Amino acid sequence: MALDSRQKAALFAAAAAVRLLLFQAFPLLPDRLAGRVELSTPVSSFKRLQEGLYLYTHNVSPYDGGVYHHPPLLLPLFSLLPDASHHPFATNLLFTAIDLLSAHALARIADSGHAAATRLFQSPRQGLRWSTAAIAAGFLFNPFTLATCMARSTTTLTNLFILTAMAKACQGASATFLLAISAASYLAMHPILLFPPLLVLLYHTRNEKLQAAPNAWAFTAVHTLGLVLLCGTLLLVSAILAGSWDFLEATYGVRLLLPDLTPNVGLWWYFFTEMFDSFRDFFLGVFWLHVASYTPGLTIRLRTQPLFVATTLTGIFAIFTPYPSVADAALYLALVPLFRHLFPLMRYTFVASAAVLYASFLGPAFYHLWVYAGSGNANFFYAITLVWSLGLSILVGDSLFAALRDELDVQRPELRDKEVKRI
Amino acid sequence: MLSFLSLLLFHALIACALDPPAHASPDYHERLLLRPLPQDTLLATFNFRSNETAAAYEQQNFRLFPRSLGQILQHAHTKELHLRFSVGRWDADNWGQRPWYGAREGSNGVELWAWIEADSEAEAFARWLTLVNNLSGLFCASLNFIDATKTIRPVLSFEPEGDHADMSNLHLLHGILPHEVVCTENLTPFLKLLPCKGKAGISSLLDGHKLFDAAFQTMAIDVRPLCDTSGQECVVEMEQTVDMALDIARSKRPRDNPIPHPRPIEDIECDTSKSYNSPDTCYPLDKKTEPAWKLTHVFGKPLRGACPLTATEGPESETLCINTPPERTVQVNTTGQYTEWLSASDTLRCYKLPTGTELDLVLPEQHMTTGLVRGQPHLYAARSINGHGQERGSVQAVIKNPSPTDAVDFTYLESLPWFMKPYLHTLRAHVSTSSEDPLKETYYRPAIDRIRGTHLELRLVIPPASTLILNYDFEKAILRYTEYPPDANRGFDAPPAIIRILGPFQSADRKGLYLRTTPLLLSLPTPDFSMPYNVIILTSTVMALGFGNIFNLLVRRFVGADEVPAARGLKAIIQGQMQGVRARFGRAP
Repeated sequence: MALDSRQKAALFAAAAAVRLLLFQAFPLLPDRLAGRVELSTPVSSFKRLQEGLYLYTHNVSPYDGGVYHHPPLLLPLFSLLPDASHHPFATNLLFTAIDLLSAHALARIADSGHAAATRLFQSPRQGLRWSTAAIAAGFLFNPFTLATCMARSTTTLTNLFILTAMAKACQGASATFLLAISAASYLAMHPILLFPPLLVLLYHTRNEKLQAAPNAWAFTAVHTLGLVLLCGTLLLVSAILAGSWDFLEATYGVRLLLPDLTPNVGLWWYFFTEMFDSFRDFFLGVFWLHVASYTPGLTIRLRTQPLFVATTLTGIFAIFTPYPSVADAALYLALVPLFRHLFPLMRYTFVASAAVLYASFLGPAFYHLWVYAGSGNANFFYAITLVWSLGLSILVGDSLFAALRDELDVQRPELRDKEVKRI
Repeated sequence: MLSFLSLLLFHALIACALDPPAHASPDYHERLLLRPLPQDTLLATFNFRSNETAAAYEQQNFRLFPRSLGQILQHAHTKELHLRFSVGRWDADNWGQRPWYGAREGSNGVELWAWIEADSEAEAFARWLTLVNNLSGLFCASLNFIDATKTIRPVLSFEPEGDHADMSNLHLLHGILPHEVVCTENLTPFLKLLPCKGKAGISSLLDGHKLFDAAFQTMAIDVRPLCDTSGQECVVEMEQTVDMALDIARSKRPRDNPIPHPRPIEDIECDTSKSYNSPDTCYPLDKKTEPAWKLTHVFGKPLRGACPLTATEGPESETLCINTPPERTVQVNTTGQYTEWLSASDTLRCYKLPTGTELDLVLPEQHMTTGLVRGQPHLYAARSINGHGQERGSVQAVIKNPSPTDAVDFTYLESLPWFMKPYLHTLRAHVSTSSEDPLKETYYRPAIDRIRGTHLELRLVIPPASTLILNYDFEKAILRYTEYPPDANRGFDAPPAIIRILGPFQSADRKGLYLRTTPLLLSLPTPDFSMPYNVIILTSTVMALGFGNIFNLLVRRFVGADEVPAARGLKAIIQGQMQGVRARFGRAP
């Protein structure tokens, strides 16, 4: 069910029109959305990017300050565009284009069919799938994606590179895959955890393409070396551009050590606001270890379904990273429809979607009560972030259950449609 | 209406009366200048100045210079020091030009800046920390809280007042404590630095109850080296200044019964033109008379004669001056010998105090036909926070140039705490009368979380008779719960902006022309301080649910429900356990 070009053009034109129309019809909306804590975190906020650009163009190092935490390569990119506070059109066009490119990459992933059938694993329900157009539309017209695009959060750029890396891995294009994954890691650091499952996916597709298994060790070594070289090059170029290595502390250091406790939808900010000083470093270590621990476990257990592992990891990033935003959840929710064949096996879809909806409607309201009305306190918004995280983690856990149940049907077809137990 | 006599400007007067050339010998001068301000306010300007020759100062041979302060300055290699303790606001609209053109005024709270001799910035900062910690002990103030986050190195706003042979290794450091409450415990050490220690001379009038009750008060200490024109004969000069604007009616209240009582309505002159005027409703008319007051009432203490260290003859010996129109009656109550001196224009009367006996000035209530000319400020400045909520806001500074002819060139210095994060790309300076950009120069050092504060210095030009509006957005950070003070919901103080006028007006001496806005109160978002444990537990629970569920799925194996014995309730569990126990003891079930 590949997307034909006419259908695709219509879909993309509609998505672009909606975005540009919203930008044009509500000129104040982008700045309002950019100020929302749910959409803009200290590491992805467009306002902070503008501040960094201002300092950069006025020859002040943006990293010699506590406001700008974006990577340095964004500075020359965005300084090419006219000032967004006076002439926003070029910036709006850029963010619309980023969304369309992401949708294009998502369509390529859907077209490849790797979600349900890989070299080593054929889902018994692989006929059950949504069309590529529906999946792309689900991404492009998702209110979370739209809001993120309007807020011009730089997470959209990270999402684009993650989706491109997945698409390239599905196509077996090694070089472009490495470029995309290193760009994503360079932008947001945690996408590097997607490298192992996507490397497995790339291995499978290369294997299919070449009709002969390449040496697994050599394959891993070459690609890891490529990743290291590309990331190193990006960092080196950044250091030359920024004039020093100070940017490492201001970008990745901030993600690792969480000095900026601006509220967001994640679990870290309030925990570390309330944390006792002597335990702060210990819990920072534990929390990061926790995020990193999912990659090996999932990759080993579900090595036959690497695309599913990568999807689940994006879901985990949306919950457990230090500065998650709705944009991360939008990426996960864009990838979940690829696994339409698992939906019949999921048990708590209602609970999870109700929790996510509940949090998305009450979150802004409770934040308002805390910060503006003063009639609520920080616990109101904190409680909502807990519900949001719980909703997403139910979704992640439930889809994982469905994937494993689906796998069981291949291994033991006699258990199909029967009740199972975990021992 | 009072017809205004054209009289000497108050400031030109104190400038020439109190700024003699540097003397190479140790000496001591003091002077109190009283000047009635509109709205029944009295401005009292105390000035104490002592000298020590540079050679004696280096050898720690202190005579008039206080040893405690001198040793601290030598230990911290401080060449020039300016320390201010201030409370209240100078009402420039009604009171006119500031005393000393703002040069002896400080930001609300405590302000300190010093030129420190050091070879490197790091060494200068280490000496600065030594200095603030020592001064903290000397003045019973929390000066030790001036750390790296509150220290800036201004570029345009301050110039040294003294003569320094080598400026290249002098480092200017500046710190403000806007939240510091200035009170009696700071006045006592201040008085102890004086040679007469508040026992005699004009300093005997300084009383904590009245000083800190004033609508505006500032205590200043300035230490600077001064050299004669040849640069050979140098002295270290220490100047202590107290300016206070007293509300006469308020300070006349007796100390044992300070609660004000309304005057009986019969005694109040009512505005009968008001529609609501009736026997029990009155809109009081402005009294056309100057209020009656005397020194012992407004200061709460008598003036205990002259300090014996002051000069005994010449204009330096006249230590008490009052600046009033000539028609104002001033009675001197004393049993001792005093002399009165009248200036040529009759607006200034100075008195040489008797030694050993008390002196009191008594001014009766009087209907005046003439008044004094008030100096007009060079600039008016007001600063406020716009916006609502605890997430973000914007700062707006409104600076007005009243002069119809002169464009004023000035610097604007902001030193903001790190948790107030300004967005410089939103900085707009806008002048009402012209479209030209008034912003000429910007110096900006952004804050780093928990390491240093923001330092923003601008040079602006404001055209004649126009208003400049300066605007920028900022974001408020949420702090760790241990970083909040006990009264977190009161808000955090942001220091005032400091404006220095560069031209075309010039001060007669090297002190410069300054203006300070009021501080800002910043309300930050606060976490719930009562529940660190709850937050740790609840967050950990959600993480454990996520992790536990996934971990469980990954490590366990699926089997059909009918392939394992179903555990049915408590009974089955107990039976299972019993079976296990029996098996262990080797008995078959």
